[in-house]
Amino acid sequence: MVKNTLNFSHKTFLDFLLSGNHLRCSELVQSYLDNKITVNELYENVIKKALYDVGEQWEYNKISVASEHLASAIVEAILNEQGLKTAFKHKINKTIILTCVENEFHQIGIKMVANVFEMNGWNVNFLGANTPTKDLISFVKTTKPDLLAISLSLYFNLPVLENMLQLLNKELPNLNILIGGQAFRHGGQDIFSKYPHTTYLPDLYSTELFIKNLS
Amino acid sequence: MDKNLLLETARQLKQVSNKTSEEFEQKGDQLISKMNKLMMERLDIEKLTGKNNINMMKDNHANHVRFISSILKHHNPDVLVETVLWVFSAYRSHGFTTNYWAAQLNTWLQLFKTDLSPKCYEEIYPLYEWMQINIQIFVKVSNKDIEASNSIM
Repeated sequence: MVKNTLNFSHKTFLDFLLSGNHLRCSELVQSYLDNKITVNELYENVIKKALYDVGEQWEYNKISVASEHLASAIVEAILNEQGLKTAFKHKINKTIILTCVENEFHQIGIKMVANVFEMNGWNVNFLGANTPTKDLISFVKTTKPDLLAISLSLYFNLPVLENMLQLLNKELPNLNILIGGQAFRHGGQDIFSKYPHTTYLPDLYSTELFIKNLS
Repeated sequence: MDKNLLLETARQLKQVSNKTSEEFEQKGDQLISKMNKLMMERLDIEKLTGKNNINMMKDNHANHVRFISSILKHHNPDVLVETVLWVFSAYRSHGFTTNYWAAQLNTWLQLFKTDLSPKCYEEIYPLYEWMQINIQIFVKVSNKDIEASNSIM
């Protein structure tokens, strides 16, 4: 067990990730939480930064796609474990559906958002990667959530997202929609101004603030 | 400074019409398929891409069309410059040569001339000309990123 680790650097986590050591990663995350790092800080400053570094190491051909996939799989497992531990036991009467757009396979960011909502007592329907728009609309109509959150990691999927927003706007004009994701790291979020009931949230801190302002 | 130049010149590119962006998107699959065929017919293809990189090249062509479709719909100079720089760093780090970019962009333009309407070609041409003109600057800026990655990893 890693104890009293007060340095919340993402580098140690990154080293454990790249060596494929799930157990050490889990222990480190737990030690950070025991040392009072908030979940948002953990996600933003440790896990997200480590994953960006993993991506960068693939970019510069320092690691293979296989290593990148291993790192992602470990992080997803940790988010599942950690999400269960921090989920607020007393549910409030609010429901959110979270998904990635069709053809988008990067679901870690939206899983973090799902955990933040769960921590705040929301009923969470996490659909994950690559949800067909038609099926999503049908699911939303059946579930009738208070919010729909959509994630886009790759900018080249923007036309898919726009098509999705147009259909949602037509079929469910009063649905409140949150948008976020790595695709907007260098801009592009201004396009949402033409879609009513749509809010862009750049990170988990703004997501938490959004949730608090609702209650 | 070089990156600023890229941003400044990218800001001068104009937003294309809806008709052009729609035509480009609609013909995307056809363009990708023909592009792969044309590039695969080249005798120097392995010299351009580096060894065992044909699948990566095909991924790049597919991603290229999807990305350009997004940029044609919503011209965004920052996203354009950052993404092209990322592509140069990533693909060059994996063995693609600088000459691949020149060959690729020339081939896209040849293909657009035959497969897109004259109006669509005319509106898209400045973006491709901008990428062609700036290949050396993209190489120079991405070299700095690659060198920095070698010094810290």
